[in-house]
Amino acid sequence: MTMTDERLLDLIETYGAEPMNWPEAERDAALAHLSANRVQFEPALRDARLIDGILAIDEMPDVPSGLAERILAVAPQAAASRRGIGARLRSIIMPNGARWPAGAALASLAMGLVGGYATAATSSDLYPSTEETVVYAALGYDGLSNFLEEVDG
Amino acid sequence: MAQAALVNRHMPVVWRVAYRMLKDREEAEDVTQETFLRAWRMLPDWQDRAKFSTWACTVAINLCRDKLKKRAPVLMDELPEHEDSGLKPDQALSQKQAGERISALIDALPDRQKEALTLCAFEGMGNIEAAESMGISVEALESLLSRARRKLRDQLAEVQEA
Repeated sequence: MTMTDERLLDLIETYGAEPMNWPEAERDAALAHLSANRVQFEPALRDARLIDGILAIDEMPDVPSGLAERILAVAPQAAASRRGIGARLRSIIMPNGARWPAGAALASLAMGLVGGYATAATSSDLYPSTEETVVYAALGYDGLSNFLEEVDG
Repeated sequence: MAQAALVNRHMPVVWRVAYRMLKDREEAEDVTQETFLRAWRMLPDWQDRAKFSTWACTVAINLCRDKLKKRAPVLMDELPEHEDSGLKPDQALSQKQAGERISALIDALPDRQKEALTLCAFEGMGNIEAAESMGISVEALESLLSRARRKLRDQLAEVQEA
């Protein structure tokens, strides 16, 4: 992708001075252009850093306690109310589902070694059991959330 | 259970987006609950190609827009942007009060600019997903973002000069 002075200025003024916030598709080209013309863009970067700093210190209250429980209280029961709802949830939580079977297979293998049986591949319950926790730890994850983040990329 | 994983993963973002738009904890909670109620209802018909975070933010933003229209119909995007941030000249950006002042500056932005800033700058959403959540093009999103940042910069300069 070709990067122009005008577009790089746009990126800085739109997304800020931090390259990680620039669109991924344009980031490499923008960084290369910036490296070659650093002095030219320094004023724009300075302005952008000021706004970045302002946004970084904006206060945000915590999510109300108990809100998750109130939402879950009216959630349908996955197994009881609708056939296939667990699979739907899995596809939402893990949109890159193609990688899940490999992870499940690894988990199953590890669980088989530890506990003598394997269940992860067909389980619709995404909260880790003690066994699953052991497997996540064995695979190098602190827990289900970290595992999901890795799976999601 | 799977619903808990879904809620734990996406609910905080939905609530923060709603709160930033509405600046009212109860209304933000209403929007968050309604968003997930709709999610539970449409889950059996979920299309695999749709990304849940995009869908949830779209629903939440639309609910917020509805609430804002009912609350203050004169403050629509079509009207001129309001210039007064609510800051008085003698209000310096001291360390102690900086957070409140910053919030006031951001609150003074037009709603659409605030939506764009919330999704991209605060929630770290990519430009394509943010634009999709807002129902606009990437170009329009970028226009909103740059105008928001320019307005913040100008307002900050005014405060510092004062």
